[in-house]
Amino acid sequence: MKPAAFDYYRPGTVEDALAALGTSETAKVLAGGQSLIPAMNFRLSQPDLLVDIGGVGGLDRLEVGPSGVTIGASVTQSRVMASDEVAIAVPGLRRALRHVAHLQIRNRGTVCGSLAHADPAAELPALAVACGATLFLQGTAGRRTVDAGDFFLGPFWTDLAEGEIITGVHFPSEAADTVTVLDELAWRSGDFAITGLAAALTTRDGTVSGARLVSFGVGGAPRRMAGAEQAVLGFALGDDSSALYGAAYEDGFDAVDDIHASAEYRREALGALAVRSVRAVLASNGNGTGV
Amino acid sequence: MTLDSPMRINPMIRHRASHIGRAVPRREDRSSLMGRQRYIADLKLPGMLEVSFVRSTEPHARIVSIDTGPALALPGVHAVFTGADLADVELFPQKILYIQPVHQPALAVDRVRYVGSPYAAVVATDRYVAEDAATLVATHTEFDPLPTVADLDQALADDAPRLFDDWPDNYLVNFPADKPEVRKAFEEADHTFSDTYVSQRQTGLPLECRGVLADEVDGEFTIWTSTQSPHIVRTTIAEMTGIPEPRIRVIVPAMGGGFGTKTHIYPEDVVMPWIARKLGRPVRWLEDRFENLVSAVHARDQRHDVDVAYDDDGTIRAIRCKAYCDVGSGEIFMPGTATVFVTGGVLTGGYDFRNMEVHHFCVVTNKTPSGAYRGFGTPEGMFVMERIIDRVAHLTGTDRVEIRRRMILQEEQMPYIMHGGGRVDSGSHAKGFERAVEMIGESLERVRARYADDPDVRVGVGYTNYVEPTTPTYHLTTGHWAGYDSATLRVDPDGAVRVGLGTTALGQGTETTAAQLAADALGVDPDDVTVVMGDTDRAPYGLGAWGSRSAIVMSGSILMAADRVMTKAQEIAAHMLEAAADDIVLTDGRFHVAGSDTPTVTWSQVATAAWVRTVDLPQGLEPGLEMSGYFEPPELEHLPGMDGKVNAAASWSNGAHAGVVSVRVSTGEIKIEDYVVVHDCGTMINPMIIDGQVHGGVAQGIAGAMFEHFQYDPETARPLFASFMEYLYPTCSDVPMMTVEHFETPSPDQPLGVKGCGEGGTIGPAAVVAGAVDDALSDLGVEIKATPVTPSAIRKAIREAADGGGER
Amino acid sequence: MMDTNPGLREVDVSVSINGTQVSHRVPARLLLSDFIRDVVGLTGTHVGCEHGYCGACTVIVDGDAIRSCSTLAAQIDGSAIRTVEDLATDGELTPMQQAFHENHAMQCGFCTAGFLMTLESVDPDGYQEKEQVIDLLSGNLCRCTGYHNIFNAVCSTWGVDS
Ligand SMILES: Cc1cc2nc3c(=O)[nH]c(=O)nc-3n(C[C@H](O)[C@H](O)[C@H](O)COP(=O)(O)OP(=O)(O)OC[C@H]3O[C@@H](n4cnc5c(N)ncnc54)[C@H](O)[C@@H]3O)c2cc1C
Ligand code: FES
Ligand code: FES
Repeated sequence: MKPAAFDYYRPGTVEDALAALGTSETAKVLAGGQSLIPAMNFRLSQPDLLVDIGGVGGLDRLEVGPSGVTIGASVTQSRVMASDEVAIAVPGLRRALRHVAHLQIRNRGTVCGSLAHADPAAELPALAVACGATLFLQGTAGRRTVDAGDFFLGPFWTDLAEGEIITGVHFPSEAADTVTVLDELAWRSGDFAITGLAAALTTRDGTVSGARLVSFGVGGAPRRMAGAEQAVLGFALGDDSSALYGAAYEDGFDAVDDIHASAEYRREALGALAVRSVRAVLASNGNGTGV
Repeated sequence: MTLDSPMRINPMIRHRASHIGRAVPRREDRSSLMGRQRYIADLKLPGMLEVSFVRSTEPHARIVSIDTGPALALPGVHAVFTGADLADVELFPQKILYIQPVHQPALAVDRVRYVGSPYAAVVATDRYVAEDAATLVATHTEFDPLPTVADLDQALADDAPRLFDDWPDNYLVNFPADKPEVRKAFEEADHTFSDTYVSQRQTGLPLECRGVLADEVDGEFTIWTSTQSPHIVRTTIAEMTGIPEPRIRVIVPAMGGGFGTKTHIYPEDVVMPWIARKLGRPVRWLEDRFENLVSAVHARDQRHDVDVAYDDDGTIRAIRCKAYCDVGSGEIFMPGTATVFVTGGVLTGGYDFRNMEVHHFCVVTNKTPSGAYRGFGTPEGMFVMERIIDRVAHLTGTDRVEIRRRMILQEEQMPYIMHGGGRVDSGSHAKGFERAVEMIGESLERVRARYADDPDVRVGVGYTNYVEPTTPTYHLTTGHWAGYDSATLRVDPDGAVRVGLGTTALGQGTETTAAQLAADALGVDPDDVTVVMGDTDRAPYGLGAWGSRSAIVMSGSILMAADRVMTKAQEIAAHMLEAAADDIVLTDGRFHVAGSDTPTVTWSQVATAAWVRTVDLPQGLEPGLEMSGYFEPPELEHLPGMDGKVNAAASWSNGAHAGVVSVRVSTGEIKIEDYVVVHDCGTMINPMIIDGQVHGGVAQGIAGAMFEHFQYDPETARPLFASFMEYLYPTCSDVPMMTVEHFETPSPDQPLGVKGCGEGGTIGPAAVVAGAVDDALSDLGVEIKATPVTPSAIRKAIREAADGGGER
Repeated sequence: MMDTNPGLREVDVSVSINGTQVSHRVPARLLLSDFIRDVVGLTGTHVGCEHGYCGACTVIVDGDAIRSCSTLAAQIDGSAIRTVEDLATDGELTPMQQAFHENHAMQCGFCTAGFLMTLESVDPDGYQEKEQVIDLLSGNLCRCTGYHNIFNAVCSTWGVDS
């Protein structure tokens, strides 16, 4: 299990990185390498050029401001997880990162790399959608921004154009009346989710007044759960949950069947996770303590 | 010495402190802690080349052509060999006569029968280039795909494609049975039921993959290989390649685990020395994890169709079990045929139950060959038995503990002959079960209280009582080797002792325990004992480490050799002390005349006389102080008698496991809240090491109960796994902390009363977890019939029970 | 605009490893695990899966525990690496190594270096709860011990209530 040969390039600027990517059809960006290098070891991925963005000036910025958190493309998951300021501004990030792999992998894996990789069972893409994050993309044609909700198109498939890179991502600060949580079922600790749910819930007087519910590990990409988002409005802690469960179950209509779980299981689990996440947030008095 | 049973420490030796029975810290640890152990991947020789094997990407196909040209053209590639190049290598031996002929060449020649089957080898300057070339060979191989067989049902269908053209069907082994007593019980019993229980395909999965480094100089071969049986590897290489056996030296470097997978003799073991000779250069192959998953043996792939006859009061009258083992392509030496017989033979575990009729079948499919994995058929059998007991308890309204109490083996029944001839020599079955029930009862209450407020969580408890056949015969597995093992003891002139053993070490602390044994047997300090094994030039011929046999065979062989050394040493000491040999005793390492503390002579003085100052020896005494013992365990049988019964294990350890699980009904999430083990492996040589064996065994049992599963596409027979993403090796979060207690019922037959403990831990968890989940979900009518018990499987069982009106 | 691929098939890697500075020209595709084991010759770091799951290859780079099998040597040019060989000083075991020995936290020893390097890389103050220790240990696989005694070794060294 050794990678096929490739050329290695470590540019200092985004422009050089983009120019290099333009010289080859199979060139790939190398960020933390925690998805890419294992895939190359299996020779499932055989780029002829790797553009390591680890040395690109400016991409290592992790900024916390009044509007939220901006994470540069080379910022590792561990760095984000360790920052108390990040945890205050966007508490969902630390909560989600707890479920991502293990310490040693998070020490190199990047937040943006996870978004670019777009594993359908990954936590961060779903969190980005739930939080309404914005991605900053740059290609030789210029820069653009994309809403996370429009970015994930399918399994390992995003809106990134050929030769384009993610330079950073912005997670807006969590509103005072909103709590973002992430829950999942995975057979082993640190695994990708079998079924997961990222939820940003706004509550007023102990009932849900607004919700962005995003499933992952269910279908081909993280997706807003239209039915459950509707059904949850007005939900209070002691309420009967069958309507919410049913709506979430229906939202899992395109769940996949694989060696780990059946499609039916994933739909049931999605229903259960929706109920349990909403109840957990309500039980925390809407301030997220203990979730 | 005479083989008094049990063999004891020579009574002439007087110790102030005995080393056997103490938690002596391991001598193996320091080098590992410092990163200085040398595993196969750490060894290099000057001029060494690296090999990569090319493996079939087809489950079943004819090889039409292989174009090695493009690979050979790659800079750094030295050679490419295909199966046809190895025409001078014999087929793998097949010594068992009652199974169908497999005809396995060292490398597949014209046909492949599983994805992963090696059919060519590439030799290059380094592994990176070797893999580049292997990829090229693979892409330039033309296969003509044949119809595939992905599972038992497909293999046994009337129109099934056959794996071997000269067989009538796909049965490697086909042993039906018919017992009049069983038939009669079915006629007489109040009720019967039929069911099917399934154990999934798993593997031992040592953290270190396999590897071979081979070198040839002037016709002398040195082969380093990560194997549990170096002498058997050597004999097999000699047999297949024609290299004279004395010219082969097999060395086992430090090993990163084996768990049965490394007992087999693999194609690479034979091909590597062949390449070394061909190229006149040392060559090394290191298995990578993908290769390991598709080409090291699999195991546990069994289905049991059972019929059970029982009475209203919960008495089980008879069990008929059709035991099927899917052995994959069957292309492995030794063949994977023996496990299903072990399953059948020990299925009744620690219970007094003999009215059994077991049919044994091994069936070939287009999957990785199956073979040995820790437990070797016992976990599969225990799962079936405990499922049957729980079902009968449920159907008759009998308490699950009570029904077991009625069936469990009692001390006064020992020795107890099992239905297949297994002779359980002794044990603490009933006592152990009571203790486990007591221990788990306390935690059951605690866990119930913890979840009392959560209506989604159910709590349940499961039990098992197993026997662990230890030190089995190898004859029924290999058709060739049988049961003994050996030790050579030498006392050097400085008085220090060197022990050579025929067994090997793969992480079980054998060096430490062997030193404890030799120290007590010769009345010396363990620090003065050096242990050598895993080297066919430095250690005597032996069968290796498998089947929980090292404790018994090394105790026996060390005691035998030590006794011989002692006898001679007494004679020498007597001469030096001018006394009679019979009057000489050894106290704390010094020889003296019984009853008088001085004068004394030391081991060093005796050994110096034996090796150096032979002028000091009594007249006519042969020089030297080195003796061997070849120990054949008493009671061990190698072939069935006329009645088909055989006591295929020298001794029988026992254990009771019990576990509490919590299950979330909504998601099927399952957590083992507590796990207790009451264990009895007879006399304990080193309790710390035994606990470690139990912990690791239980963890592997839990891996099988809840996580690991090799799945294949039923349409194509292609593996649906390639990595640890699919094969779920559990982490620290997934395995519970457990409580282990021991009883110590010495074996009446084996040396020092030792029994063996390597596999027991793995036997219990599948049965315990299934029982506990059933119990937790009893009001939903759930019944677990297959492993692994995943959340998805639990939800499915809940749905099915609901659809079936909660009946079971 | 670049016309030709600016990348290199071979790269120069200069790192400090266990306090010693080394420089080698190596293939760009060389994994850090192979760099440490084959090029530098420190074989205490093991390889058990080469796809990031088992943790046997864990080493410390600039203070952080990482998977050396899923990192290119090229990527860590200029860094400081620590491997298991750097733990004991003059043959004296660290308290954690000693605890592994005393608690029988290893059998075949193949996973041991990876566990030790993970443990060495963190501040024990962040792991004073039993659950935190279990979570930390979950990034390394062990097939032999069932984790039981590894957990005990860590708890005893860090004073965690097990
Ligand atoms: C054992 C193990 C367990 C894991 N478990 C989880 C888990 O539970 N959940 C989870 O979410 N992840 C998991 N991961 C994946 C891990 O989180 C990865 O780090 C992450 O998915 C990718 O980040 P990276 O920086 O390592 O990207 P890389 O591996 O470097 O790149 C991944 C892909 O994204 C592209 N890419 C990277 N950065 C950019 C960019 N800025 N612009 C454009 N393209 C880019 C690369 O070209 C490549 O195709 C696991 C990994 C391992 C090895
Ligand atoms: S070898 Fe690196 S994680 Fe397994
Ligand atoms: S001690 Fe063998 S893998 Fe951990």
